Amino acid sequence: MKADEFQLIERAKEGDREALNSLFAQEQKSIFNLMVQLTGDPALADDLTQETFLLAYQNLKKFRLHSSFRTWLSKIALNLFRREYRRKPKHVSICLEEIRIPSEKDIPERIVIKREFQWCILHSLQQHVPTKYRMALVLRDLQNLSYREISEILPWSIAKIKTCIHRGRKILRAHFINGKCKAFAEKDYLCICEGILEL
Amino acid sequence: MNCKEAKALIPEFYDRELNQEISQALGKHLEGCLECQKEYNSFQKIMKVLNKLKTYDLPRDYLKGIKKVKKSNVSLFHKKLSKFIKKND
Repeated sequence: MKADEFQLIERAKEGDREALNSLFAQEQKSIFNLMVQLTGDPALADDLTQETFLLAYQNLKKFRLHSSFRTWLSKIALNLFRREYRRKPKHVSICLEEIRIPSEKDIPERIVIKREFQWCILHSLQQHVPTKYRMALVLRDLQNLSYREISEILPWSIAKIKTCIHRGRKILRAHFINGKCKAFAEKDYLCICEGILEL
Repeated sequence: MNCKEAKALIPEFYDRELNQEISQALGKHLEGCLECQKEYNSFQKIMKVLNKLKTYDLPRDYLKGIKKVKKSNVSLFHKKLSKFIKKND
């Protein structure tokens, strides 16, 4: 933990409002994005982020500085996310349009599905990657945490974390291949988006 | 190193979590094996897809929300989670 973060936490624990604001302000965006990546739903992510900070505020005195502040907040956020998914059924949203692709030398004219790229990534993660794999994958590949940092957030061994990350990636890739995404299927594709042009 | 072993190591190779010796052996295998190269390229593509996910801007300032909530609104779940946080910190 950085020395200035340590000092901010100590001051915030003693009731220093300015320290608390500064501490929370620098983590808000990270926690909100973690929640969007896990839920695929900005409105739900908004509620869960607020709840995370409320809980962190109420429990700050119990934080014993054994991990970084972000890791501690992420642990609270992950617990709220798991509670949310135990009690709520999944909501399936559909977002696509069909477009006609003119024929090329090797490909006859065809109708393909066009999806919005950002929606497609979030939807694929949320609907096709099981929760435990998604949590590990999001922490590693989207939050860029190390295996060790993830083991401080999820109560799993490093070996289990590695397995979950790898299975999550495999399932996600299989979904893009089976969905006939142009980036993966080359000639025989059925689905396109603006995003693949930038890959 | 055979193809089965090489394919299993690709994710850790990408994460740079392999030791130098295994990493070099895998690199050597990839150079001479088209099938494993294809697997590695496909793996890189899915990582590129994930890297394209945009960062969302904050819809509001969560510090303001904290000020508004009174202690009496704390739910049973929050109390349980507070105990969990204390136990697992």
